[in-house]
Amino acid sequence: MSRTNAFRALTLLVVAALSPRAWGQTAAEIVARADEVRNPNASFRFLSTLTEYVSGKPQAQNILAIFSKKDPRTGQFRNLVGYVEPPRDAGKAVLLDGRAFWFYDPASKASVRISPQQRLIGQAAVGDILTVTMSIDYTATLLSTESVQDANKKPRTSWHLDLKAANELSSYARIEYWVEQGSFQPVKAKFYSDSGRLLKILFYRSFETWLSGLRPTETVILDAVDSSRVTTVKASEHRLQEIPEAWFQREYLPRLEAQ
Amino acid sequence: MSLQRIWAAVPIALAALAEPAHAQGQGDDELSRIPSEAPPAPPAARSGRSRLGKTVYVESATEAELLRSSFDVPPPSPTPTTIEQRLFVDAVLHWIPIRDLTFHLSARAGLRAGEDIAFPTHENIRVDLRELYASWKVFEGAYLDAGRINLKSGVAIGFNPTDFFKTRAVVEPLSVDPSVLREDRLGTLMLRGQFVWKHGSVSAAFAPRVASPPPLYTSTALPALDPMFGRTNAHHRFLLKANVDLIEDFSPEALFYQEDGAVRLGFNVAQSLGKKVVAYAEWAGGSQSGLSQEALAFGTLTKSFSTAVADNLATSSATHFQQDASVGLSYANESKMTFWLEYHLHQAGFSRGDWRFWFDQGTGPSGELLSPLLWFERGYAQEQQAPMSKHSLFLRADWADAFIFNLELTAFANVDLYDGSTLAQVTASYAVTNLWTVALLSAANVGSRRSEFGSLPGAFSALFTIRYYF
Repeated sequence: MSRTNAFRALTLLVVAALSPRAWGQTAAEIVARADEVRNPNASFRFLSTLTEYVSGKPQAQNILAIFSKKDPRTGQFRNLVGYVEPPRDAGKAVLLDGRAFWFYDPASKASVRISPQQRLIGQAAVGDILTVTMSIDYTATLLSTESVQDANKKPRTSWHLDLKAANELSSYARIEYWVEQGSFQPVKAKFYSDSGRLLKILFYRSFETWLSGLRPTETVILDAVDSSRVTTVKASEHRLQEIPEAWFQREYLPRLEAQ
Repeated sequence: MSLQRIWAAVPIALAALAEPAHAQGQGDDELSRIPSEAPPAPPAARSGRSRLGKTVYVESATEAELLRSSFDVPPPSPTPTTIEQRLFVDAVLHWIPIRDLTFHLSARAGLRAGEDIAFPTHENIRVDLRELYASWKVFEGAYLDAGRINLKSGVAIGFNPTDFFKTRAVVEPLSVDPSVLREDRLGTLMLRGQFVWKHGSVSAAFAPRVASPPPLYTSTALPALDPMFGRTNAHHRFLLKANVDLIEDFSPEALFYQEDGAVRLGFNVAQSLGKKVVAYAEWAGGSQSGLSQEALAFGTLTKSFSTAVADNLATSSATHFQQDASVGLSYANESKMTFWLEYHLHQAGFSRGDWRFWFDQGTGPSGELLSPLLWFERGYAQEQQAPMSKHSLFLRADWADAFIFNLELTAFANVDLYDGSTLAQVTASYAVTNLWTVALLSAANVGSRRSEFGSLPGAFSALFTIRYYF
């Protein structure tokens, strides 16, 4: 260990331990506050525009209508995702409710049960990524405080957290998460599979006020497996909406009006 | 400062030692991948009281089929055409004129030409009215639907014993893929009520008899402009089905079905096992005769042949409790691949002895007289959307974004567990843009001459489709 590194470690040890900003909150509290920034504590509906880039060029665009409601038992959001565009997918719907995942295709009039792994294949996985309450599904550990660049290459002093799946409902085995100090705005996240493979890198950007809070309206998802692929997810038209419990039954899927 | 706080700060210091330049150096490659331009804003949500939703596409389908040249039991003419071209418009419309009332229309209209299809005749035109019904939301969760409705039940992929309205409903499918068969089928004229609540749902449907059953259709005997209610509404039918969340995440469905007084009961359930596996089971049972006797009875009823001719093949016409089941597993991996393995039981279907009898009769001294009846049994089973054999295996694999973005590869195999013969199909579908899709499909019937799939007239087929969405 070099003398410089030893000095840096000692300084960080003292500063970090003394700093009320770093240690005013536990890792779990930081993640919970970031959850509150990402989504309101109410039932709501929004449109999500996914643009898929391959080698930097836009290749496809999907528009999804996402209906989110908190499950009072788990505190986790349940999602109903209706495909609006492109035309070949219009009318398809996905129910993401705890461990129950169903996919409905209007062409075949069939609802098929899908596994947690299968739900990650389609665009509807975005619903989960955007609304997952990380403080419930993951156990957080604070790794460090560091300056990390956000999607606009602006440095943000952030907590670097390590999140481990807390239950079998967690979509990913592990998440590395950067949350800006002070604002509790999520900056970046890395999602890992059960096998430890890095799957996705997320950047949160375009913070705007919607549903009574300054929240991200755009998420950039870098595919870590295929480095040529990037997806941007632009959320819009947020509105509070009461969502009846019956909507989270698979038999309701054919009746979901995405528009 | 407590000792606990100092101890908690140690990992930060250690992290700084391990990766002193982490914050500055990390992410350069990542940041360079982020698109600079903002994606176009989505269209504003449709507003106003009247709304129209539509999915309309045109498709060109070119099919070539390689036929077998010799058979143990020769199929009756006409055999399938070897080259066929179809061009059609497919439309699904939803119109909401006022709140809580929706009209649904699903139809396909097109032209077709083939080696054995006379031109120009009505055979060149095909119009299928799949659905036309009104749906009224009586109150939150309660619905009434009336009209021609495609009511589908079941959780399995290859064979759905509880999908009671599937019989005779499929019209001239482009593929024998079960998922495509469900797309090319006619709805049934019915009145349906449904109530969905927090812990489950219950549905009741009544479909009246409005027409006599027509004989089996062949590819060259399809009406051009006929709703074909004889296919879907030849019997009084009633279905009651309900699913209830018994415990968290466990919601089996039970079904009661009655057709002209004959009752069938059904049950289906699907459940996740861990993160990657879904297990599912579907069962139906009721009193019915064997496939062969049912087919011959249907043939005499529709005057396809005389009772005297049918008596040559008749065995026992007694009915007894027969079961259908579909039990399977699906497995998905991190490479966007999903696999299904499914076992099918169709107790009314052919046993090993029935198959032996079928081939013996077709190749015996009365083979020439009986072969039309024998093939009638095969055609009947196909229209019923039920397996021909008692025991079969279904395997399927899907790979999304295979090799390149938006390329989907699908393969399935239907295996007769008596003789090992197989229907296998591979499809490559590529979404060129959001509006254009091209697909190439090839299928093969593999097996010995005295096997289920090896005895079929078609040996190999290929289909090329181009689809454009408006």
